[in-house]
Amino acid sequence: MAFNSLKLEISTHLASKGLKPTQAWLDSILPTLRPNTPLPALKQTALYRLLASDFTLTLQSSRSILPSDILDARIKERRIIGSVPVQVIDIEDIGRSRWSQVEALEAAERGETTKGREIIRVVPSEDSTDADTTNSSSAGPHKLLLQDAKGTEVYGLEIENIDKVDVNMNIGTKLLLKNVVVARGVLLLTPERVDILGGKIDLLHKTWKENRKEDLAPSGKEPTKLK
Amino acid sequence: MVRILCVAEKPSIAKAVANHLGQARARDVAGLPWLKNYDLDYNFARSWGHCNVIFTSVAGHLVNLDFDQRYKSWSSCSPADLFDAPIRNFIEDSKKTIARNIETQARHAKVLFIWTDCDREGEHIGAEIRDVALKTNPRLEVKRARFSNIERAHVINAANNPITLDELQAQAVAARIELDLRIGAAFTRMQTLNLKPLIERQMGDKSIISYGSCQFPTLGFVVERYFRVKNFVPETFWSIRVMHKKDGVNVNFNWARVHLFDRMAVTIIFERCLAARLAKVTKMQKKPTSKWKPLPLTTVELQKMGSKYLRMDSQRVMKVAEDLYTKGWISYPRTETDQFDRGIDLRRIVQKQTTDRQWGQYAQMLMDGGFTQPRNGRNNDKAHPPIHPVNHVEAGSLNNDDERRVYEFVVRRFLACCSEDAKGETTTVEIEYGVEIFRTSGLLVLQRNYLDVYPYDKWESSQQLPHFVVGETFEPTEARMTEGKTSPPGYLTEPELIALMDANGIGTDATMAEHIAKIKEREYVMTRTRGSQAAGLDEGEGDIEDAPAARGGRGGRGGRGGRGRGRGSGARGRGSRAGGNGVQEFIPSTLGVALMEGYDKIGFDTSLSKPFLRKEMEIQMRAICAGTTNKHEVVQQNLEQYRDVFVRTLGRLNVLKTALRTYVLGQDG
Repeated sequence: MAFNSLKLEISTHLASKGLKPTQAWLDSILPTLRPNTPLPALKQTALYRLLASDFTLTLQSSRSILPSDILDARIKERRIIGSVPVQVIDIEDIGRSRWSQVEALEAAERGETTKGREIIRVVPSEDSTDADTTNSSSAGPHKLLLQDAKGTEVYGLEIENIDKVDVNMNIGTKLLLKNVVVARGVLLLTPERVDILGGKIDLLHKTWKENRKEDLAPSGKEPTKLK
Repeated sequence: MVRILCVAEKPSIAKAVANHLGQARARDVAGLPWLKNYDLDYNFARSWGHCNVIFTSVAGHLVNLDFDQRYKSWSSCSPADLFDAPIRNFIEDSKKTIARNIETQARHAKVLFIWTDCDREGEHIGAEIRDVALKTNPRLEVKRARFSNIERAHVINAANNPITLDELQAQAVAARIELDLRIGAAFTRMQTLNLKPLIERQMGDKSIISYGSCQFPTLGFVVERYFRVKNFVPETFWSIRVMHKKDGVNVNFNWARVHLFDRMAVTIIFERCLAARLAKVTKMQKKPTSKWKPLPLTTVELQKMGSKYLRMDSQRVMKVAEDLYTKGWISYPRTETDQFDRGIDLRRIVQKQTTDRQWGQYAQMLMDGGFTQPRNGRNNDKAHPPIHPVNHVEAGSLNNDDERRVYEFVVRRFLACCSEDAKGETTTVEIEYGVEIFRTSGLLVLQRNYLDVYPYDKWESSQQLPHFVVGETFEPTEARMTEGKTSPPGYLTEPELIALMDANGIGTDATMAEHIAKIKEREYVMTRTRGSQAAGLDEGEGDIEDAPAARGGRGGRGGRGGRGRGRGSGARGRGSRAGGNGVQEFIPSTLGVALMEGYDKIGFDTSLSKPFLRKEMEIQMRAICAGTTNKHEVVQQNLEQYRDVFVRTLGRLNVLKTALRTYVLGQDG
């Protein structure tokens, strides 16, 4: 298939997913695709690579982006018409105290949540003041920091439970916002306004994981036992 | 006439059983004022016919296991040698008269009939008695009685149906004794020799830094909780409360999200609720509900309830319960069983309580048709029934207040087990306000049933809700955004500690109280009564952290509303809190903290502060009883494991010393 027609096929495919990469990215990706591969697989590969990229570098930043006054907290409510691709650069479970999340992480580090290995069984506290440390999945709701192709960062609040949104999701996961509502500069995320496209930004993800405990520790206090 | 020698575990049991079997004449044993031989005649119709019975007793273990003389002195060997130093059984001087009495009596007996308590320990004591008796009379026939209370008919049934001694159980105890001796001595000496010089001044009159394979994990639980309390950092959360006044009732609706730890998020959500102006009723549900009657009483449960409601620590409760058992008022108080055999005539036991001034009427009501079969729990040790009253005794005839309280508890618990569940009706109203869900619920208790005899459980009607109709809309009288802070968990209480030991296989139900007493005695922990600082939190702002699993525990009741999180709506939830007052809580001493921290730093997986090693040992004890392994194998394997830890500890003694300096001496690193 001719270079240009393949390029068109791929960019059309990506556009159907709401993604409009830069010409430069398209030009760079095409030579790396193996020419004998069937077209559907080529499309898949291109999509996969785009989702694994940093949108601020690979998407056109002139279209399908958040309005420039997105953070204006004076605006009580408005809707962003059309679809906007964004990437997750931070996520927090705001339904649980940070402390209980740190305790859960430490228990996991000690292997106490590992299956098939001996664990210390915890028993319910008598007076019920215990933080929940046994539940390692995050119930949310979650607060996400999102970034569009132009690099604009905005908070999104998971106002209704969205499948696959939890603290174990990849940092750099790509979302497609569809006619999303904004209140006081915060996106209100619901399943019907958000498509999860997947993907990851490796470096970002790694750093986030490494610093997570530190970031969670309230007022910077390290919860480990001995200094 | 054939002579039968009967030997009980304690003098009081010998006396009680002998008197049930016949006209017993007490004879003194020279040299020990409290030891008696009871002489009586009894017809063992099915086995030995008309016999002369001598009924005597020991006082717990007869035989002691210790190292050879050469290893007894601390300076004589390295502590590591104790893992394989020669050991021997011997009879302590204080027990020699008892042993001699058995030897003498055995000489003319045809049968040795053992009446030690029916548990592992009892089986081992039985084996000790047998070994002593066989020395003077190798032709003795050896039998043992199976009994679980000292009630007359039960005792006679046991006398008429002798069984054989369970050698495997005795072997399991022998393995445990050897391991406790070797491991305990090795670590205690090693710790004392190496650590004591460092903290000589702080040791006071304590001479050793002792180690025990149950004590340490027990202490570990206390220390673990201590750090969770100490490291806790309070965090602010925000919530939304909606109140609506209808038919003169202020109805408070709770946010389905309970609270969030993000002010911005709650502010935005709250604004959207207000903007919606109207709330709409989306659900109105009335459902029958019941509060289940308690399960039959086990030892662990008795100990937990004792510290919760009877103001006694576990050791005291067990002591009192044993006295009540010895006197024939209650059944054997060491049991894991929480199900009654179908064969037991429970009505007959209820009947005996009908004369009581306090609960007699209630018992009579059960006899008149109120009786229902108790629930079955999941545990059955196949040795003893759940703890239950055996005979009725008026409060005035008991020795002291503690006995009265424990007896009353056992009886009330039993009667509650034979009663109907309490019945009620819950009403749940759910509203949608903006896009948020709020709920309220009310409880109406319709039939108290078992609660009438069991004041330890609380279940009361809440304020009654006005009528709401699905689809109805209203503008809430008040909607507020509130703020609160998480509060730290409390220090570990005794019921919690017992539950942790139980769940992690530390000790048996019979020995848990001893281990707890031990760490107090060693001054590794202090206790204090849980003070007012934990109580008195009201439902309002000073709120508590989520506690999802808290309602699920043993004997707990399912179906408490779908959401894991949230504070049990309305009337439920806080009951246990009120009951928590007066409970003892444990705070580790600096030495206790230092030891646990030190061992944790040396190696987590096999840290002596963790229950893993000990739990493994306990499982192997059971395997010996089941015949799937033997004493020799278990002892060798466990010694290997503990020796590994020992060697690693010696190699990293500095870590322990540093922990001691940090915590006990307050020095930096």
